[in-house]
Amino acid sequence: MSRLFFVPKDWRAILLLAICVGTLPLGLENDYFMLILNVLALNALVVLGLNLLIGSTGQVSIGHAAFYGLGAYLSAIAGTSWQWPLPGAFAFAIILVAAVSLLLALPTLRLEGNYLVMATLGFNIIVTILFNQMEPLTGGPSGFPGIPRLSLGSFVLSTDRRFYYFIWAVFLAAFCLTLNLNDSRLGRAFKAIHENDLAAQALGIPSFRYKVVAFVLSAVYAALAGFCYAHYVTFISPKTFDIFYSVQLVTMVVVGGMGSLWGGLAGTVLLTFLPELLRHFEDFYVLTYGLILMGVLVFCPQGLVPVFLSVRWPSTWRKRPSLAARASSDSSRGGEPASSPSQALGSGMSESALSLRCLKDPHAGGRSDAAALLRLRKVTLGFGGLQALQSVSMEVGQGEIVALIGPNGAGKTTLLNIISGLLKPQHGEVLLEEKSLLGLSPHEIAACGIGRTFQSVQMYHQFSVLENMLVGFHVQGDSGFLAACLHMPGERREEALLRERASDLLQDFHMDAKAHQPVQHLSLLEQKLLEMARALALRPRILLMDEPVGGLHPRESELLVRYITLLRQHGIGIVLVEHDMNVVMRVADRVVVLQHGFRIATGTPKEVQQDPRVIAAYLGVKRS
Amino acid sequence: MFWLLIPQFFVSGITTGSIYALIALGYCLIQNATGLVNFAQGEFVMLGAMMMVSLTHVAQLPMPLAFLISTAAVAVIGVALEQGPLRHSRNRDILTLVMITVGASISIRGASMLVWGKNSHIFPPLGGESPIVLFNAAIMPQSLWILGISLCVLGLLYLFFHRTLLGKAVRAAADNPFGAVLLGISVRRLVALAFALSGALGALAGILVTPITSMSYDAGLMLGLKGFAGAILGGYGSTVGAVVGGLLLGILESFGAGLISSAYKDAIAFIILLAILFVRPSGLFGSARVKRL
Repeated sequence: MSRLFFVPKDWRAILLLAICVGTLPLGLENDYFMLILNVLALNALVVLGLNLLIGSTGQVSIGHAAFYGLGAYLSAIAGTSWQWPLPGAFAFAIILVAAVSLLLALPTLRLEGNYLVMATLGFNIIVTILFNQMEPLTGGPSGFPGIPRLSLGSFVLSTDRRFYYFIWAVFLAAFCLTLNLNDSRLGRAFKAIHENDLAAQALGIPSFRYKVVAFVLSAVYAALAGFCYAHYVTFISPKTFDIFYSVQLVTMVVVGGMGSLWGGLAGTVLLTFLPELLRHFEDFYVLTYGLILMGVLVFCPQGLVPVFLSVRWPSTWRKRPSLAARASSDSSRGGEPASSPSQALGSGMSESALSLRCLKDPHAGGRSDAAALLRLRKVTLGFGGLQALQSVSMEVGQGEIVALIGPNGAGKTTLLNIISGLLKPQHGEVLLEEKSLLGLSPHEIAACGIGRTFQSVQMYHQFSVLENMLVGFHVQGDSGFLAACLHMPGERREEALLRERASDLLQDFHMDAKAHQPVQHLSLLEQKLLEMARALALRPRILLMDEPVGGLHPRESELLVRYITLLRQHGIGIVLVEHDMNVVMRVADRVVVLQHGFRIATGTPKEVQQDPRVIAAYLGVKRS
Repeated sequence: MFWLLIPQFFVSGITTGSIYALIALGYCLIQNATGLVNFAQGEFVMLGAMMMVSLTHVAQLPMPLAFLISTAAVAVIGVALEQGPLRHSRNRDILTLVMITVGASISIRGASMLVWGKNSHIFPPLGGESPIVLFNAAIMPQSLWILGISLCVLGLLYLFFHRTLLGKAVRAAADNPFGAVLLGISVRRLVALAFALSGALGALAGILVTPITSMSYDAGLMLGLKGFAGAILGGYGSTVGAVVGGLLLGILESFGAGLISSAYKDAIAFIILLAILFVRPSGLFGSARVKRL
């Protein structure tokens, strides 16, 4: 069922929700109650957008009341003052809000830290001031009356009840689209960006663009809700869209659990009914909201709803079968010679068991004598007074392992960061074949075919082993947001294909038995292998490895080294930063020695070992 | 005609600018100690002023005593915010902690509305109400007091951070908290100190600004945001930047309000905030940080 067009994975829960929503009004005569339910749906729509934003950027907006208000005012002005037809007013409002949110997102999402919170807060205040001051256009503080109701042909949504069915249908549709988006390649990329932005970029995920898209989408959700609101109540005033409404929305998000779509809906239900309970204590609204927001964050930051669920229902009731159960069912299939790398290690794995069947790239065929793949020319970079790299040049050919060694602080990792685009050199060139990599962002460089592993293993701890692999396979997919939201058949096929490829690659690394386990269950060796395998998903031509055997047992590092040499046979050029000289001297085709940012020697391992400058750098100079 | 107004704009810009500088400095202290944006900073400003109102009007205390008590009280509230909700949060994620300060800010605002009501309050300025005229600008004695006190406080803070062991410890902990712990500095106490200082700075700003603009329970948000805009303008996390940014923002706002439109006065600060994020996010005195992997 979940493979079908538009149908989300949680379709049973959605169906139940739709039935509840559909039957609820039958037993109700009270119009006031309908009004609250309609407001609830509007709030839930905005909260949905906010959760999408948090899920992808880890930042929250305290300015969504402004987008809500802009959606309402823009369509009210176009539809009433200028007499535009409804679809025109709708398009006008949505497009303008999207443009404004794009302008706001571009500068603020580029920065690290919580600038988005402040920028959106300030934006909300500017917009409220504009609503109040631009009297000829907005009616000022006294409000904007006489907005036409929504209608389809001659059918006007004139009663609360009619609007109820309309707005809940809109909400449910948006809910399905968002659930689908979360359960797709792009949703996975969003979560990856949230957890570890740099690692995501190193895997070719355009994180800045995705963050901007998430922000614009969430603003459009708010504008859609604002449009519906304006044409429902027919009178709007600036007071509705002030900063306190933004805070209310954020409280709903927090109570439901930040980033959880179902939680957001539950939080909205709770907090929309709260003012009704407090009706006789209006002065306490603000204080109550503040205390709820603070209390929930301090005592159960994952939100009330997840906590409630875990207390109320045993784990078997929840959506996924427990991980342990899955893992055992997976391993019971059995039959493979070695089900984990460490087992392979114990049984003294034969050479034949180690092979990378998934790498069938055109460059296969080992080392070639053609021109170098990756070339660095006179790369120079200083941080303030410290000269981290001084005119360093090096080349890496196809299927060649170049070891980069040097004492601590020599500039090895800095050089890797320059190649992968995290740092920009002040002078010099970085070329992949004939293409300059300078000026490209890290994700573009990754997509060009430069993979990377990190000094400290970068895993996504919220993901299973297989999902970690899938993050690496992101670049191999190309279906867009629309396809992901709608779960188009093509997008589903692509997802299945990526999963298949990811499992195949895992199998090559003998980790398929652990595919559905959380990464925390893996040993350091397995994590390092997984990180390497994940980088291979980029189909790299160059792989940058930062201390791959650091922290491993000698026999474990033996296995890892065998994988590295295997990569060489497949024609991948490798830059290896390593302190373990046994490993370096054994596998490296060439060694480049750095000290204090200078390249002090280069050559075959033998030559470098006998170079007096290298000996001096490592052992010091003998006093005579 | 226009030329004659420039000194006046300048004087009022410097006056509000020093207030923003004090608030910006409060953000800066907490940012350096914890890496957090403290959204309750503006509420510290409001609380200081409101306590001063109660102590002078209701309790009839003399000004200097009331001033000391209210500044100290807000400092204690600052520490309470840090020792209570922030320290006991189960999740150390920056977003969660920042949102906790948002919650604290809303709670303080709601509680203040219950205590002091929705009306705005005011108390008489220092040094009387007859202005001194200089170069076509009418300067209220309160403005001079604001400038003088702000300068004194900045001087004292400078001495504290550069001449005392405790102040140097704070700077060390801001630079590298882990290293500071290894040297036997109690970073937890320094964080509490940062909250106390920024509470006191906020209260001071609130007490100084109230005779000019009056104060109500909901004014903290706007003042806090402007202080933040000043801090960003100067370069977030830089103390010199906070002071210069605050002053510059005050002057720009005063000229903007005078030359363009006073109705949009409050919007100007945020347009500057967004513009600086767009053009030079590290601010005037900030430097881009390098992240180590």
